[in-house]
Amino acid sequence: MIKFDNIIKVYGAKFSLSIPELIISQKESVGLVGNNGSGKTTLLSLGIDLIRPTTGSVLSRGEIVSESDEWKGYTGSYLNESFLIPFLTPMKFLSFIGQLHGKNRSDVMNFLDQNSGFFMENIGSQKYIRELSAGNKNKIGILAALLPEPEIVILDEPFSNLDPGSRSWLKAKLRKLHGEGITIIISSHDLNHVTEVCNRILLLDNGNIIKDLSTNNETLQELENYFSMQVSSYTD
Amino acid sequence: MYQLLIHQRKEKLRSPFWSKNILLNILLGFVGFWLLIMALTASIAAIRIISEFYSGLEPIEVFTGLLFYFFVYDLISRFFLQQLPTMSIQPYRTLPLGKGKLLHYPLIRSVFSFFNFLPLFLIVPFFIMVVCAGSPAIFSFAWVITLLCFIGVNNFLNFSIKKQFISKPALILLLFGMTGILLFLDLREIFKVSQWFAKFVMYISGAPVLVMVPVSLVILSYRLAYRTLRKNFYPEESQASRTTKGSFTFLSRYGETGELLGIELKMILRNKRPRSVMIFSLIFLGYGMILYDDPDNLVKLMMGGFLLTFAFALNYGQFLFSWEGSYFDSYLANKISAFHYIRSKYLFFAAAGIIGFLLSSPYILISPKIIFVNLAMLFYNVGISSILLLVFCTNNSTSIDLGTSQIMNFQGTGAIQFLMIFPLIGIPLVIHVLFYFLGIREYSILGIGILGLIGIILSGYLMQMVTRLFLSRKHQMASGFRKIK
Repeated sequence: MIKFDNIIKVYGAKFSLSIPELIISQKESVGLVGNNGSGKTTLLSLGIDLIRPTTGSVLSRGEIVSESDEWKGYTGSYLNESFLIPFLTPMKFLSFIGQLHGKNRSDVMNFLDQNSGFFMENIGSQKYIRELSAGNKNKIGILAALLPEPEIVILDEPFSNLDPGSRSWLKAKLRKLHGEGITIIISSHDLNHVTEVCNRILLLDNGNIIKDLSTNNETLQELENYFSMQVSSYTD
Repeated sequence: MYQLLIHQRKEKLRSPFWSKNILLNILLGFVGFWLLIMALTASIAAIRIISEFYSGLEPIEVFTGLLFYFFVYDLISRFFLQQLPTMSIQPYRTLPLGKGKLLHYPLIRSVFSFFNFLPLFLIVPFFIMVVCAGSPAIFSFAWVITLLCFIGVNNFLNFSIKKQFISKPALILLLFGMTGILLFLDLREIFKVSQWFAKFVMYISGAPVLVMVPVSLVILSYRLAYRTLRKNFYPEESQASRTTKGSFTFLSRYGETGELLGIELKMILRNKRPRSVMIFSLIFLGYGMILYDDPDNLVKLMMGGFLLTFAFALNYGQFLFSWEGSYFDSYLANKISAFHYIRSKYLFFAAAGIIGFLLSSPYILISPKIIFVNLAMLFYNVGISSILLLVFCTNNSTSIDLGTSQIMNFQGTGAIQFLMIFPLIGIPLVIHVLFYFLGIREYSILGIGILGLIGIILSGYLMQMVTRLFLSRKHQMASGFRKIK
């Protein structure tokens, strides 16, 4: 489904990410873990053509993402606030995104009804997005990513700033989507969340994928061990 | 207080704009230097000029009267140009610093502004050379104190005026209107305000106890500014009432292009900086008053037509894409066709041009020629300038903070913003010169109009070319936009 082929990304003189080969197939839900600066967001941004690889290419369904717009029709993504249009109301923003994917207002309302467990009640308020709290912005962005009924969902730290209720809702939602055959790629700092949601974990360190695990009962322990070892090696 | 001063210095020096735009800063420094020199020269030469043109009158009184005009000009230029040193006080609000201190700080800081040094250069040399030399010490002293006080009044009054302008624009426009009427009455010699002003200053200088009057005016203006700032201490309360009206739903009927156009219009209306660009562009329309002094000067008419029909499109359009810097990623990651995106920009320019044409049409009263020239320039601007602007703007890669003020704000300004005007104005001039040498000077306007029409006819094809350029540059633009956050 998505293939990273011989990817190297260099920022200025600084090496940022290197992936000789990574194939993510349709049935997978992939979680990226790693410390800050390990290349998680870079990897996700490459997947949706926000940045261009220095060498190599990213293919989605066999087409190079920087040379085709096809993937935009079946990929829903939310990486950060720059995906939101700050001076629109949440409703207007969502219906704008819906419109781009050929959905009319009642489609959007239906979608919101189905997912009413997630957003705050005042989604219809006249506040502009720029006036919302970080958590609520995050929610709008995730909803906008899911609204077009994508076949690939790419989210960068979707659980951050969310309240406990929305977190468990989102976990359930992502698992449900995965069950429906939708590819999920997320990053997270919370090892509990990723191991609960994802069936494949990629551990990144300094721009390299150093572990590629399929999730089982021991995965969480293994990851925790890895990170606590890192801490102890710093303190020694 | 001292720490605050240091922080503010750092805020300025470490802002990405400062380090990047050294050229622009040198240019600004040069303009400032030039103004100071001009003021100094005027002050030194004043006595000679006055004795030549106003012979028989008391030179100090004449000079004081002339200063009245300067103070009016000073207040207006402050309103448009002076940046208030409002360091973002947000991070300091929870620290153990008195509220009063945080508010007095920007006020005191503003005293060290360039706008307060400029009048000193105008007043002090005259004071030393003429007033001190020929008048009693007490008189001279009272005279200069009074004038210095007026500088202070202007300085602090500007705070209140600017803040009030956001919440009650009508009131401030009324104030400017009244000032305009007073100036008019003065220049027509119906009611000589400047003479009254001079008499007032002379009277105070003659009775030094009265110096208390201008001094208390300064204190009053300071208190007023302080109160205004205090009222605006809580940002969420001081937000000007806003409406979500103007939803432009009718544009949705025109598909993706219309939808994008609607978003852009909302961006302009709902954000401070693009909104003030719009207001400034309206003031731009007044340029016609200066440009159209000679209706037979074809080049001037061309310049007028170019600027008036495209004032907003140029002012706003030079930062195209940069305006959307903070959410550019959402356009890249979503299903938006690049061609529709570019077309929405093109249609925006066309609409802006047509509106500019309509707004400038009253100049027909000066000469009917103007309307034909403007029509030709409208065709040229829509057909050629729009496309050129789009091409240039694919080089923009600095995001613009929509919430800041437009005044003396050069965020987003790069070399390209200075250079792009030359080809835009150059093409019509070249055509004009060409026609001139061919001996068919009268038809140059027609030629420019036809060139524009050809551009409009080929617009579909030209937009496709721009789209290809945009696609090849979008990653570079986007990575630039992500930098300043």
